[in-house]
Amino acid sequence: MKWLIRGATLLLVASLILTALGCAGEEAKQIKVGVIGPMEFQMGKHHWMGATLAADEINEAGGIQVGDETYKIKLVKVDSNELLSPTDATSAAEKAITVDKVDILMGTIRSEAALAVQEVAMDSQTIFMVCGSSETKMSDKVAEDYERYKYWFRVTPFNNTYLGQMNFTLVGMVAQKVGTQLLKAPKLAVLAEKASWTEAIVGAAQAILPTKGIQVVGVWQPSAEATNVSAELTAIKDSGANMIMTALSGTVGIAYGRTWGEMKIPAASVGINVMAQADSFVDNTGGFGNYEMTLNVYARDVDLTEKTAAFMDAFIDEMGETPTYNAGTYDALYILKAAIERADSLEQDDIVAELEKTDYVGTGGRFVFSAKHDVTWGPGYVTGVGVQWQDGELKGVWPPADGSWPVGGPSVTYEGIVPYQLPPWVIDYWT
Amino acid sequence: MSVAAAYAARWLRLLKDEVFVLPARTVLLAVCAFLLLFPLISQEPFLLRVLILAAIFAIFAASWDLLSGFTGQINFGHALFFGVAVYTSALLNRNVGLPPWATIPLGAAAAVLAGLLVGLPCLRLRGTYLAFATLAFPLILLGVVYALPRFTQGELGINDGIDPLAGSRVASYYIAIPSMMVLGFIMWKITDSKIGLIFHAIREDEVTARASGINTTRYKLLAFCLSGLFAGIAGGLYVHFLKSASPSTLQLLLSFQAIIWAVFGGMATIYGPMAGVLILYPLTEYVLIRYLAEFSEEFAQRKLLIFACIVLLVLLFMPRGLITWLRDKTEKICPRCKLQNVAWRQKCRVCTAELAR
Repeated sequence: MKWLIRGATLLLVASLILTALGCAGEEAKQIKVGVIGPMEFQMGKHHWMGATLAADEINEAGGIQVGDETYKIKLVKVDSNELLSPTDATSAAEKAITVDKVDILMGTIRSEAALAVQEVAMDSQTIFMVCGSSETKMSDKVAEDYERYKYWFRVTPFNNTYLGQMNFTLVGMVAQKVGTQLLKAPKLAVLAEKASWTEAIVGAAQAILPTKGIQVVGVWQPSAEATNVSAELTAIKDSGANMIMTALSGTVGIAYGRTWGEMKIPAASVGINVMAQADSFVDNTGGFGNYEMTLNVYARDVDLTEKTAAFMDAFIDEMGETPTYNAGTYDALYILKAAIERADSLEQDDIVAELEKTDYVGTGGRFVFSAKHDVTWGPGYVTGVGVQWQDGELKGVWPPADGSWPVGGPSVTYEGIVPYQLPPWVIDYWT
Repeated sequence: MSVAAAYAARWLRLLKDEVFVLPARTVLLAVCAFLLLFPLISQEPFLLRVLILAAIFAIFAASWDLLSGFTGQINFGHALFFGVAVYTSALLNRNVGLPPWATIPLGAAAAVLAGLLVGLPCLRLRGTYLAFATLAFPLILLGVVYALPRFTQGELGINDGIDPLAGSRVASYYIAIPSMMVLGFIMWKITDSKIGLIFHAIREDEVTARASGINTTRYKLLAFCLSGLFAGIAGGLYVHFLKSASPSTLQLLLSFQAIIWAVFGGMATIYGPMAGVLILYPLTEYVLIRYLAEFSEEFAQRKLLIFACIVLLVLLFMPRGLITWLRDKTEKICPRCKLQNVAWRQKCRVCTAELAR
């Protein structure tokens, strides 16, 4: 009996040692990247899928080379629950940094949560790459206190100021169409949800657009979660506006699209409507969302760079829908890989120094960070794309195929852009 | 015998005669000792963070119980007191430069004022009407926060320039945990005093209480102010710990969380809601996320669903709350002297009266 027990013990010890050795041998060195977002919602799922696609490709291609060592990317899913509770986002970020020991954080969507997560990440000097919030206050902090906030970068979308500039460019394009096709002077109503990020856009619209010959007839500000905007749209119709500039990120965008199409408001819609960026928009609006136009980061048939189509196909294969700007985690991970390899180090300060030198052509355009660590928007950089719902499909309509943008510089346009169309009921009303 | 030895002997006797005679008190003492000694076992920052937040929310939940559990004035907008203190402390600290030890009491004072302002008009209402009226106040303040973005930073909240509660996580822990214990004890003593008896009377039958010569309006107002004071202290601790004042502190979710914690633990006990938070908060924020995630990531992401299932199951089998159920199973009250005895005793530990089986 004794020999049996001894033998079994020996076998057990040997197998434990072998298992331990085996595990140690198999385990490749890892760089842990925390992907933080509301994982129960579409935004978080796009964060995760964008990062997953990039991590799989990078790992299959051998990983990240640092000196003589090769590191694989290990993604850690960090559910921020930020749409329901921003406090949860800070807890999730701290858990990712202190418990899961992530080296880098990327993601977030809601500005309130992103600002709070920024503080948590900066406290622990962890690189935090935003792929969801456009709030300018985050990049302002880099300028105000560089030493503390230098670990912060924004990959998508471009900041509020750039969003405003692009918005005005789209408004200009539609105003030109109103002038040439309807033979009317453009009269614009501003419909912006009551939120911090729209303040600068509304203020700039009132100050700048009249100087460009576009009359601003009024500003309407429903709540971001409003389910009925018929009163606002009736007032806009009564104001004599032939254009509506939107700045909507919440579910009000669906109510707006539905009511605008259903009431056949005689004003062309242009601007930012995050809900209209989703493939389900026309279904969600009961089919009334056609002709709604919004700025976007991606469009299904538009090749922003030579990398866009492959990414788009892979993403649609996995998710069954077009990626939103939250899927910018894909480019973020490649930008990070390049910076680590250039730095030849995993020290956060060394990576930051190389991230600042980024000049990378990704799926969304050419990424170059400003002094405030914001992705640069404009011709030759990331431009975004104007999209319009036409016959139930989201088509890219800007930068225009006629090469009219930018004025006075080398023109920018992309494969797959189609002409913008005024809604037929707007044409019928004004002609 | 030295004075120290005499004191030690007295304390030991007190422990033996008053604490170890009842399982609930023994467990309470063990939990307090465990929490106070916890940093000797682990100083993992995230774990300490969860326990600090649990302590702060325990004060908050108990303050709801003080008002709604004891006086029956159901408050659906308890986040108002918390949010008022959060913003007052944050603004005084950031804009005036007052340190946390000054801004926390001042924030609590502002919450007392809010209690007074809410109490005065709402005391004309009762039951469901009162509950829905209180629901409106945090939403009104939320509107004010959004309407004054230059002052309050609007929907983004105040995220920079707020001083931390203490220099380190362990120091913050040793502020939050003893605060919870001391404030919980004070709240319990209030409810155990004559004032608590009047609160009970108001809840059970306000007309009779008034007929007995009690100025019920004054006492209800007192309940609103006291509840505001404790919720305000919790709010002050919260804002300096997180270094962030966000509009979510005024949202319905926080008000309802206080009610869920209180109902889960057992209403009208003070310790019930506190225990409810100390069980549920670490369970959902740490145990489920950390350990379940290793088992199944998808499962861990359903923490709200799991939270809801646990609460529903407990309330299904223990409708008066977990702690109340446990207390009823382990203790019984002497029919003669009304003292609590351990459930398996046959005679009262003091008056030796026969205890009901």
